Amino acid sequence: MSEKPQVKSSPSFFNNPRNRSLIYQLLLLVGLAYFFYGIVSNTLANMEARGIKSGYDFLFTTAGFDILMSLIPYDATHTYGQTFVVGLLNTILVSTIGIILSTIVGFIMGVAHFSHNLLIRKIAVAYIETFRNIPLLLQIFFWYFAVLAALPSARQSMSIGEAIFLNVRGLYFPGLIAESGAGIVYGAITAAIAGIFFLRRWAKKRQNDTGQQFPVFTASLGILFGLPLIALLVSGIPFVWDFPELKGFNFRGGVTVIPELMALALALTVYTGAFIAEAVRAGIQAVPHGQTEAARSIGLKESKIMKLIVVPQAMRVIVPLLNSEYQSLVKNSTLATAIGYPDLFTVFVGTTLNQTGQAIEIVFMTMAVYFVINMSISFVMNRFNASVELAERN
Amino acid sequence: MKEFKPLPDQPAPNDTIGPIPWIKENLFSSPANSIATLAIFAFFATVIPPLIDWLFISANWSGTTQAACTNENGACWVFVIAWSKQFFYGSYPVEEIWRINLCLIGLIAIIIASFKLPKDLRNKIAIPLFLMLPFISILILSGSWIGLEYVSTDYWGGFSLNVLLAAASIIVAFPLSFLWALGRRSDMPFVKSVSIILIEFFRGVPVLALFFMGSVMLPLFFPEGTNVDKLLRVWIVLTLFMSGYMAEVFRGGFQAVPKGQYEAADSLGLGFWQKTLLIILPQVIKISMPNILATFVMLFKNTTFLLIIGIFEMLSTTQTALTNSNWLGGHSTEGYLFVAVVFWICCFSMSMISSSIERKLDTSHRN
Repeated sequence: MSEKPQVKSSPSFFNNPRNRSLIYQLLLLVGLAYFFYGIVSNTLANMEARGIKSGYDFLFTTAGFDILMSLIPYDATHTYGQTFVVGLLNTILVSTIGIILSTIVGFIMGVAHFSHNLLIRKIAVAYIETFRNIPLLLQIFFWYFAVLAALPSARQSMSIGEAIFLNVRGLYFPGLIAESGAGIVYGAITAAIAGIFFLRRWAKKRQNDTGQQFPVFTASLGILFGLPLIALLVSGIPFVWDFPELKGFNFRGGVTVIPELMALALALTVYTGAFIAEAVRAGIQAVPHGQTEAARSIGLKESKIMKLIVVPQAMRVIVPLLNSEYQSLVKNSTLATAIGYPDLFTVFVGTTLNQTGQAIEIVFMTMAVYFVINMSISFVMNRFNASVELAERN
Repeated sequence: MKEFKPLPDQPAPNDTIGPIPWIKENLFSSPANSIATLAIFAFFATVIPPLIDWLFISANWSGTTQAACTNENGACWVFVIAWSKQFFYGSYPVEEIWRINLCLIGLIAIIIASFKLPKDLRNKIAIPLFLMLPFISILILSGSWIGLEYVSTDYWGGFSLNVLLAAASIIVAFPLSFLWALGRRSDMPFVKSVSIILIEFFRGVPVLALFFMGSVMLPLFFPEGTNVDKLLRVWIVLTLFMSGYMAEVFRGGFQAVPKGQYEAADSLGLGFWQKTLLIILPQVIKISMPNILATFVMLFKNTTFLLIIGIFEMLSTTQTALTNSNWLGGHSTEGYLFVAVVFWICCFSMSMISSSIERKLDTSHRN
């Protein structure tokens, strides 16, 4: 019996994939460590040379500048920390307006792409292709400097029924001022929303169990308007209208939408709406034509085919795209700084940074805010996506 | 035996062919559609004639100063014509503009070369040329190192800056994003997490915040006394921003390459880099081309954001022109319209190319 030949089975040290990956990662780690060491030591040296103190103490010192528009009480005596809150709220305001309006515009234009009317189809295509391909900043400038700046002065305002006014200084409409007892109405609205939520669940369960349908939509409308109306009458209408009035050179009272907000919201809506329309178009096109034909052959009406067959399937394609469009809308809202709408970027990275010089802290806080906003959008949209996803059998 | 003879085709019924049934089908198929059609026509009839009149018929075309815009009811294209040199070249010295043109021609020539050269030369010539182009352009445009008159980056501007900056960013972003995408797919946990952090950071932060970081924070990072040119910092920021987005595009491309391709390359005994560069990368680029172009369109549009940090690209040149004391006649509509048309032509043609590539690659048999 001969001896087995001795074969050295393990490869040489450097050819072993495990050793190799360890070495590569060590190299990367050392490189990164050196890089960050360089940055940190340079930054510290530079900050010392320029006399910048690091830390977040500046948030509690008085800001001393006014902000064009604020959703919370704010004036120059408030702190830098409050300028952060004011800016954040303004960013959230314009993002919310933009997301809601661009979704509406986008869905209308996306569905219009499949209209039976040739002209409507062509208008949808023209809208998408025009506004998708023009830089957003240019569109903001166009609305702000070319369109809104051409509106009449306060004395010659355009008005609807002497209640809503539009002029070069903004859009004015009547506001509601709550008096005592308004809490009952707010409570009724909350109760109505909760009621609708439970009604829908109950109706769905009943339909699954017994097959009987319940007119959810009409009932929801009834609850949504009926309950607050009853509360209003019971509490003796605790609201008064606050009409805008021309006093001197400007309007007083009511709710004012400053032109900066209008221009930004318009541009974001029109620009993002074009992208959403494209997403909706792609989503609807991804639904096989056989689905529509099958729906027709079982006798569904054209309007029901869209609503019950095509759109639910298209949502699987649309929702992930919507997610990224919403996120880029929020990121694009930073362009407010070009026309001076006081969003987080304008107020905090602009004025506050200029006054305090705390570049690192401020840029870090701002980036963190946009990360958090975008992650929340992503979270909500992923939940929504899970609910429209194809339920596959395991 | 009788031979089978098919009957001649019946002509289509008269009420389905010709212009009148077409109009009926497309414009007046239902009462609601008829109303919509009429409303849209009425709208066009009221809007288009005055628009055409303002744009062309009553417009002022000739002259060099604002005084030449005599017709109040027409657009003042004199404004655009008088400023056109600044719109395209910024305040670059007039007698040196040939350098910008040279760079633009070089860019176009390399793009054409990468399509037209024979396959075996293409990779050896076009790719190195592409990678060298940004650096050669910088040498030519700044001029001091190659014996030409030095032009400081403060004078670079206009539409050519938008084009060159976007091109230079995507060229450098190509290899960088490819590495990041590879890192994200890697089995090495540390490499993978570094890549994910890089990609998600540059995708998640508004590009404006990145610009501000480049202009207020980057100077703090460098050793004291180093003065890094503003345009160079912007280029770095744009490149990193683009790399984040393109890495995700490449990741999609990697996922679309069938596993058999990797296995076949392994069984041939190719090493990692041979496999990746010779087998996988060409397929990845082919698959991701439409998305790369879409990302590039986004980058190109985003170059207008440079206005905010005070770089004289096309839009900020327009803003400067609009506030010029000799031209305070409210020409903003004309100016913006012109910039919009220029950008629209570029972006639209790129998205057309992108969708034609997409159609060519689409092998599914839907509809």
